[in-house]
Amino acid sequence: MLNFSEESVERADETLLEQSFTADCLALLRALVESAAAKEGLDGSRLGEFVLAVDEIACNAVEHAGGGGRLVLRRLDGALECLITDTGPGFTPELPRTPPELDSTGGRGLWLAHLLTDRLTITTGTTGAAVTLRMYLP
Amino acid sequence: MHDRQTGCAGLVPVQRLRPGDHAFVGYGVGESRWQVLTAYVWLGLARHEKVMVLADPDVPQREVLTRLDAYGPQASAARARGQLVLSSMREVIRPDRAFTVDRQTARLQEEIARARREGYTGLRTFIDMRWVPDMDADVAGVVHRETHVEHLFHGRAYTEVCAYDRGWFAPEVVEAMHDAHPRRLHDYLGVLLSIPDEDAVRFAGDADLTTLDQFRTALTEGLAQTADRGHMLLDLTHLHFLGVHCAFDLLRQVQLATDHKRIEIRCSVLHAGILRKLGAASVPRLTLSEVRVGC
Repeated sequence: MLNFSEESVERADETLLEQSFTADCLALLRALVESAAAKEGLDGSRLGEFVLAVDEIACNAVEHAGGGGRLVLRRLDGALECLITDTGPGFTPELPRTPPELDSTGGRGLWLAHLLTDRLTITTGTTGAAVTLRMYLP
Repeated sequence: MHDRQTGCAGLVPVQRLRPGDHAFVGYGVGESRWQVLTAYVWLGLARHEKVMVLADPDVPQREVLTRLDAYGPQASAARARGQLVLSSMREVIRPDRAFTVDRQTARLQEEIARARREGYTGLRTFIDMRWVPDMDADVAGVVHRETHVEHLFHGRAYTEVCAYDRGWFAPEVVEAMHDAHPRRLHDYLGVLLSIPDEDAVRFAGDADLTTLDQFRTALTEGLAQTADRGHMLLDLTHLHFLGVHCAFDLLRQVQLATDHKRIEIRCSVLHAGILRKLGAASVPRLTLSEVRVGC
C-alpha cells in the first residue's frame, strides 16, 4: 500500500478521516467526506464536486483493484487532500486531456475527477495505486 | 411506490436533514443503523451543533464509542471538548425514574439551552427507542409524545432522530411512528428510489455505482413507456448524489432515445454542471432545467 509523499507528511496539519472501504460503505464514505469537508469550509458546488471526485476514485478501487481500498482525508496548508490507495494491479497514470465521447467505455471518471479538483496526482506501481486529490479551501 | 417515499413527502437522506427537523428511522439487523448514526453525528459536528447520542441500552457504551471512533479522530476530539455526548434516557430524566413526556421535554429544553450557552448552534439528538422496553415505558404514551412535541423544534435549535428497531416494535407501531414524524430517513445510506409517472421518472436518494443497475433499468423502462408520447421528464431534484457512472449512462440512454422529441432533465445546479461537463450539450433533444434543491 502506498503512502503520502514525504512532503505531505512533513506538512500534515490534521487527519480528518481514515477509512478502509468496499462497495458496501461507499455511501457512508461520501457522507463522512462531505461532513468533514463542509466543516473545513468547503461549500456549494465545490463541496459536491469534491465528494463526486472522491467517490469516483474510490469506485475505481472497488471496480478494478480487488473490491476496495483505503481513504485518508487531511487538511493541509489551506487545502483538503484526499489520498486513496489500493492494492490492485495499478494503471497507466495518464490523465485524459479531452472529454470522453459518450460512446467511450472508460477514462471518464478520472478525467472528471481531474477536472473538478484543484490537483490530482497518481502514483502507481506493482503494489497498487495511490491517487491524491487536492481542493483549496476558501 | 408510494408518493410519500419521495423527498417531497418527508423521506430524505440523512444529509438533507435540517436544523429543526424531527425524523423517524427504522433499522433491522446489520450495519445500517450504525452507518446512519455515524453520518448523522458527523453532520452535526460539521454544523457546530452539540450532538447527544442515546444509544440502544443493550449495546455496551464501549461498542458505541468504538463505532463512532472508527473513522478518525474527529469523534473522540468532539467528545473531549464536550460537543459529542453519550447519554441514555435514564440519564436524561434523572432523578426521575419513570418516563413522563413532561419530564423528558423539560430536560431536553434544558439541554438545548445549555448547548446554546456553550456556543453551539443547537442540539441534535439520536434516540434509539430501545429505551422504551428498557424502562418498561408505555408504548402508547411514547406514540403520543412523538406527535405532541412540536414546541421543542420551534426556532430550529433542536434536531431529533428517533430510531425504531423493526425487530422489537410491532409492525403497526413502527408504521404509526413512521407516519407520525414530519421527516423520515431512509433505513440505510445510499438508497435509490425511482418513481415512474405518466410521462416522467423521478429519482430520489443516491445514484451511484451500487445502484447503477437499478438506475439504468428504471431509466430504460421510463424511456420505453414514454416513447409514444415523444416527451419525458427526468426529475433528479430529490437525488442527493449523482455519480459519474449513472450520469454517463443517463446521457447515453437519452442520446439513443430517438423516438423522443424532447427530454427534460430537471436537477440541481451541481448535477446540471456535472452533466454539462460530461457532454449534455451534445445530446440532441435534451433540455437541462436547473432548480433550487429543497424538500
